[in-house]
Amino acid sequence: MIEFTPDGPFAEKADQLFPGRVRVIGLGQTGAAVCDQLVLHGRPNQDLWVFDSDQLTIEGSVVPNRHLLGRSLVHGLGCSGDIDLAREIVALEENRLSSVAKGCDFLILVLGLAGATGVSLAERLVELGHESGAKVIVIGVQPFAFEGPSRRERSVQAIANLRAEADSVLVLAHDRIAENPVTQKNIRHGFHIMHQLMSQTAQALSQVVCKRGLIQLSFADVRSLYGRYTGSEVLENCWAAHVEGDLHDQADDLVAELLNCPLLSDESIWKRVDHAIVAVSGTCDLGLADVQEMVSLLKDRLPVNVPIATSASLDEESNENVRMTVLLATTAPARMSVPEIAATIENPAPKKKARAKSDTVPLPHVKPKAKPAREPEPVIAQEPPKKPAPPRKAAPVPPPAPVTVETQTIADEELMPVSAIEAEVPVAVAKPAEIATPRRYVAKQEEMSFEGPPRGRFEKTHETMYRGENLDQPTFRRRGLKIKV
Amino acid sequence: MFWGKSRNIVVALEVGSTKVAAAVGEIRPDGTLALLGIGEAGSGQVRKCEIVDFEVAQGCVRDALAEAELKTDVVVAEVYLAISGAHVRSTNTRVTTLISSDGDEITQENVQELHDMATAQPLPADHAIVHHLLQHYVLDDGSTTDNPIGLASKQLTAHFHQVYGLATRLQTTIRCVKELSIEVKNYALSSYATAQAVLSRNQKQLGAIVINLGGGISDYIAYQKGAVVHSGVLGVGGDHLTNDIVSGLKIPYAKAEQLKKTEGSVILDPAESEATLTLPGAYNFEERLIYRNSLNTIMQARQAEIFEIILEDLQGAPFWPDFAGTVYITGGASQVKGLVELASQVFPCPVEVAHQSPFDGDQNYGRRPDLSTVLGLLQYARQAEMELPPARGFARVGQSLRRALANMRLI
Repeated sequence: MIEFTPDGPFAEKADQLFPGRVRVIGLGQTGAAVCDQLVLHGRPNQDLWVFDSDQLTIEGSVVPNRHLLGRSLVHGLGCSGDIDLAREIVALEENRLSSVAKGCDFLILVLGLAGATGVSLAERLVELGHESGAKVIVIGVQPFAFEGPSRRERSVQAIANLRAEADSVLVLAHDRIAENPVTQKNIRHGFHIMHQLMSQTAQALSQVVCKRGLIQLSFADVRSLYGRYTGSEVLENCWAAHVEGDLHDQADDLVAELLNCPLLSDESIWKRVDHAIVAVSGTCDLGLADVQEMVSLLKDRLPVNVPIATSASLDEESNENVRMTVLLATTAPARMSVPEIAATIENPAPKKKARAKSDTVPLPHVKPKAKPAREPEPVIAQEPPKKPAPPRKAAPVPPPAPVTVETQTIADEELMPVSAIEAEVPVAVAKPAEIATPRRYVAKQEEMSFEGPPRGRFEKTHETMYRGENLDQPTFRRRGLKIKV
Repeated sequence: MFWGKSRNIVVALEVGSTKVAAAVGEIRPDGTLALLGIGEAGSGQVRKCEIVDFEVAQGCVRDALAEAELKTDVVVAEVYLAISGAHVRSTNTRVTTLISSDGDEITQENVQELHDMATAQPLPADHAIVHHLLQHYVLDDGSTTDNPIGLASKQLTAHFHQVYGLATRLQTTIRCVKELSIEVKNYALSSYATAQAVLSRNQKQLGAIVINLGGGISDYIAYQKGAVVHSGVLGVGGDHLTNDIVSGLKIPYAKAEQLKKTEGSVILDPAESEATLTLPGAYNFEERLIYRNSLNTIMQARQAEIFEIILEDLQGAPFWPDFAGTVYITGGASQVKGLVELASQVFPCPVEVAHQSPFDGDQNYGRRPDLSTVLGLLQYARQAEMELPPARGFARVGQSLRRALANMRLI
């Protein structure tokens, strides 16, 4: 292979055009999981960092640079959604964060938008990144609808805050995969799919913004698609898909596989998609003709005709496989859509252009002074997906000192195997004298069912959820009222 | 036979969870409305005001319209449609413009500009607007007015109550009618339509909340100082009471529905704790003894929950601290015994059964609360027709002719 070395008279300027220092920071539980995916399936040599206030998350991560924040405040127990507590942690860890924000040209922050720690850290890191001259791209994911209105509202606020400051914000939505059979079978698989997609998105972005290649895009292309909105007028604005395989004689299959990716299988997204970025990487065998063939195949198969910006680069680590990541975007301003007949009824006269309101969305570099308006709050949350039960978070690590003491007091019993404890029960029944001893409750771990009890007449309808309760279920049952039949 | 597209004939259509109702009215030359008749058909495959099976629902709409045509001798060509469903949401919004005319006088253009700006307000993705209801205008000195034209002010702010819903579901309901070759002339939020039937101008001014308890949903709307200040739709209705009875007492749906209507109450009476009633048997159902207390407990729990959720939503709205009006209850599910007593226990304000405003024409329907929405929609249609610009040229001649014929018929 002939290696190209930019040693001409404009070599230095070329380097400035494509600065290469990208740092991916995973924030909170979701961010850590995404960075883990990058390590496990992506490029372990990337500059990866993980921050969280939950010790379990940090201990479970495989990223070398992982840091537990706010130990003195929350003892590794996390913030449990307390945004004020998370901001205190951010203030406490200011020095550590500012050192991480320095020394790179691009910061890619990955987080779940409903988590307190991740969002608070992201807000501060965006500011610190800008202070140190870095461009900041945020990849966030909205929570499932069944996780409740409070988490959703928090994510909407987070989107508005981050868009007001960050250069580009890519928002994916968990609900897009709610109907996926894999998710319905096991919600953890759904989270896993999303984490993989986010990691591939981060990888594609780092390729686009910094890597020289056969076909070069730049940060401006990313910003033009994902930096347009400055508030929460549009929430979900990114749909990602990734495929990897042998290119030779299989380009058609690869493209078909790409279009079957979970986020793209929902047909409703094609009404919103208006731009696409395709990032292709492969070994030195990858030629421009191959890239062109793949992109033209993709263009032919896309249900909508959208402009596609292509980035292609060579990657030594791709094991003779070609990787193709598609990032779809919506850039249209959020305009009211009026059903067919309303156009003539509500506004019979031709519309006059409003003077005090701009028809175009402000450019990304124009930052609004005031905080952007929030999305109109729903009167009552009504449209959850069919999976009501939220996934249980693993029990956080207890604070060191008190738990140690408690563990010592019950150490003998705790070490007893469950089978032995259960075996005690018939013995206790047999000997009435021992019945008076304090009864042991053994936590029983069961598989959580996502199919609720039958809803009778409302089986075919969308569930009506309110404060985490499925209102289609009988009230007397939910409230534990006894009915004499 | 009268052509339903005439300016004098208006048709209101409600595709509810329990029934489809089509009301035909006639606008008289003096602007009053006369009800000609109502066609009804039981709803099939409509749950929570959303169509589950398109073809079945369309058949029900066809039946209701056919009955209305038969009763009123009117060929229905266009309808006003009631819109509701758990997907419908609302919010209050305001827009401001600067006045740059001579002497800072507010003109029609300024008002139109505010309406355009309100129309351009962003909505959540995949949502479409149902209503932009004007609340009031605010001048630069903070004073409010309903008609600012001619007044002087440096800036003008308009407050709107915005109602929107999922575009796909709105279109499904509209398409269900349009595919029958019937034009949907306009649509209105069900609760807004209901308020037109049961609230007078004075009641709206004093403050009123109308709760329409339907089969599949419960929708509500709040008025203060004559303007809509809050609205909402809860995807729980009378069907849920029946469904709870089915689940709790293990009886068929039809029996539960009958039991709810004839014996059920949402007030618990301690004296009836051991009282029983007999559910007669049928060829495939053995006679059953039902504890009255069990029936009432199931119903009371559900109905109280509905009221509590509505109250919680109202209490979170900005208008609530200043609200000093009355809660009016209507809708098919409001015919359950003890409903007003229960509502009075939940709501910290007077509660009354809503009575429909008197109208001319067929009086058989005036006392049925389950028809308040469709009758209110007729009032809405009348208002909309009156606000349309008058016809000109040949259209005017044709209109006059049709009006003359209509008058002759009434005479």
